[in-house]
Amino acid sequence: MWKYINIIYHFLLIPSINYTNKTYMIISIDKKIFSEAVYIVTRFTERKNTTLPVLSSILIIAGDDGIKMRATNLEIGIDLKIEGECIVKGVVAIPAIILQQIATSLTYEGKINLEHIGDTISLISGTGKSLIKTIPYDDFPSIPFPENPKNRIILPGIILKNIFTSITSCASTSTIRPELASIYITIEGGILTATATDSFRLAEKKIPLSNKGTQGKFLIPAKNALDIAQALPDEDIIMSFDEHQCAFVSTGCMLVSRLTNAVYPDYRQIIPKESIVEAIVLRKDFENALKRTAIFSDSFQKVRINFDPKKKIFSFFARNIDIGESSETLSANISGSALNLSFNHRYLSAVLALTGAESLSLLAAGIGRPLIIKGVGDTSLLYLVSPMNQ
Amino acid sequence: MDKGNPRELWEYVLTQVELSVSSANFNTWFRNSFIVKIGEDGVLYVGVPSQFFKDWYLKKFHTLLLKIVRGISYEFRNIEYLIVKDERRKAQNEVKHIRSALELPLDEFYINKSDNLNPRYTFDTFVIGSFNNLAYVAAQAVLSRPGITYNPLFIYGDTGRGKTHLIQAIGNQFKKQYQGRKVFYLTSEKFTIDYTDSVQAGTANRFKDKYRQYDLLIMDDVQFLSKKTKTEEELFHLFNTLHDTNKQIIFSSDRAPVSIPDIAERLKGRLASGMTIDIGEPDIESRMAIVRKKAASHDLIFPDEIVEYVAAAMSGSIRELEGMVNTIICHAQVKGCIPNITEVRQSLRSFTRPQKNISVKSVVDKVASFYGVDEESIYEKTRRREVVRPRQIIMYILREDFNISYPTIGTKLGGRDHTTVIHSCEKIKREIIVDNELASEIQNIRTLLV
Repeated sequence: MWKYINIIYHFLLIPSINYTNKTYMIISIDKKIFSEAVYIVTRFTERKNTTLPVLSSILIIAGDDGIKMRATNLEIGIDLKIEGECIVKGVVAIPAIILQQIATSLTYEGKINLEHIGDTISLISGTGKSLIKTIPYDDFPSIPFPENPKNRIILPGIILKNIFTSITSCASTSTIRPELASIYITIEGGILTATATDSFRLAEKKIPLSNKGTQGKFLIPAKNALDIAQALPDEDIIMSFDEHQCAFVSTGCMLVSRLTNAVYPDYRQIIPKESIVEAIVLRKDFENALKRTAIFSDSFQKVRINFDPKKKIFSFFARNIDIGESSETLSANISGSALNLSFNHRYLSAVLALTGAESLSLLAAGIGRPLIIKGVGDTSLLYLVSPMNQ
Repeated sequence: MDKGNPRELWEYVLTQVELSVSSANFNTWFRNSFIVKIGEDGVLYVGVPSQFFKDWYLKKFHTLLLKIVRGISYEFRNIEYLIVKDERRKAQNEVKHIRSALELPLDEFYINKSDNLNPRYTFDTFVIGSFNNLAYVAAQAVLSRPGITYNPLFIYGDTGRGKTHLIQAIGNQFKKQYQGRKVFYLTSEKFTIDYTDSVQAGTANRFKDKYRQYDLLIMDDVQFLSKKTKTEEELFHLFNTLHDTNKQIIFSSDRAPVSIPDIAERLKGRLASGMTIDIGEPDIESRMAIVRKKAASHDLIFPDEIVEYVAAAMSGSIRELEGMVNTIICHAQVKGCIPNITEVRQSLRSFTRPQKNISVKSVVDKVASFYGVDEESIYEKTRRREVVRPRQIIMYILREDFNISYPTIGTKLGGRDHTTVIHSCEKIKREIIVDNELASEIQNIRTLLV
């Protein structure tokens, strides 16, 4: 644990290097490491046309504790430590777009040398040399860290990464309700629950944690979560949060994100407690049938599903006036009463990305009520999708 | 500049800041900030969007801001930064996806989407009194022989009289009695939107087919169709089709078919061609029954004096009556016992209408201008015919609607004797029964006065 806390202190240190025209920075980094780092960090820069150019640039700091890259767009921030040789200490801000274009064109061999002279930086790799104009870094904001990170949990980065990438698609893309454009994370009784909904469907994933003491909840903007997920390492990380910030810290990397300051709707109450029919289908069948039926869905992307408990058949049906119609039947294990429901096919297929289970269980509570989809044997997932107007 | 007004103060601060920092910095850091409040102890609270901003303000702009506010007044001791909620900064003009409106939002399940009926409205919860007895009987007749007895059934009455409840109850009962037949409830506004959408999407034919398949079509608030010529025409054709195939149609409106303005004559005639029933003002007994029933639905029994008080306090709208009952129920649930009459009086104060405080002068003003006579002449002793009539009407309205005493009315209207006032009121009251024109004139004046 102390190891981690030390890291935090390092991050908080502000490089104490006086920038004048005389001081310059010389570093040498492995090309592969450099390219990967630039690729990750660029996501954290301001990509739109911004008023403050330093926000769309990457800050490279070569100091006592090695070489680091920093970027922030005031929503999320990153501080990434990279391996390399620091010959002369210094700080420099370089436009991220230029750096990214160079990084993608590098071949993975040898080293790249960065030399900062005056207001330009030269990148020397093998036979080529490019000079880039730098941006004054005085305006580069400090990246805040949760002030009082009492709420902290340790979990493998890969798990968080999977959760963020899978469930973000279920969050709302509109910013009208910021709470729905966020992922709701609750930690209680040693279980982390992540929820996302756009009010038409809802996905909830649960993962057990190793330390059971911590409790808390926060709302992280879905867009930020996706960017964070791209940068998360696979190894164990510390996730800490307070009222306004959350941070993800690993040995070489610190990520922070602003949190949404809103109240999440009490989604538990809309999950139907009972069901009138349940179908268990093979994922493979479901996926293929849905894919074929979706071709015939109308402009509202409507696909009708039918539960037939007598014949033990689960079927899809779609009709488009301009194209034609299609129906698919799957043999399924169905118990309960017969039922017809219509859905947006995109919302049905979304569940496939959320679980890897071989079979899917579909529970319906009646006409006009949401359908619950779970993976058989996968207790971590709950997916709820609301039907369309019949 | 008013230094007590946060908005003005912040605007002034910004003009000063703009001079000291680069415009790039200014736009990035100051665009989304504002003063949340000015503390009693001279602390200024500045709201910023996130921790990034807070840290940067503290690091870079704190001294500058402090210098500026100190320059305005030494009252300001310090500046603190707060991270404020997202709602104040969210994007205003986002295009809503019309497509997604078709799916049911997860939290609105209580309305059955296949027929739009709210299951809450049933005949079990419907109170029948002398004011709506006729409408109820007609509804039952419609239910026993749909499409034949009274087609269309047209129910009208003022807002809050229970029209929607009645017609939805018919729909729900119909569904129960005739399983397999299709019911659809909609408002005329929904019909208009549906029509315009289908025209826009080029699916007008599908629109026609959609509505022609129903065995019972209930359309609420048809008066909103006025001036929508094309929609009216569509309704006209839909009406003919349904009527010819003996499908029941039910309409509701806030006025009789003939008095709906700007609606095609042929449609008017058709609306009135079946049975037209008026739901009147509920009498006091019915109102008491409604109060009791509403309370009983929450397992509460009010003492008689409360029931009487509530029913007497609110005439007209049942909706507002329900609001009052809900207030009392809420009180009862919070306190654990039913409040006594004084507490009820206290809590219902907000429901009493402020209208009673209207000035005599404004009534005189409105009526005089309605009849095109000089306002002064009302107060004079003149007995010209064109002045006498408006004067009597003013007296009648002051007495009937605002409960002003006869002597006061007399004094206010140029020092007349109270017997004159009594005579005028009685005269208008008598004439109103036989003279429809007079009645409608008074009705029009009343709408002017609200």
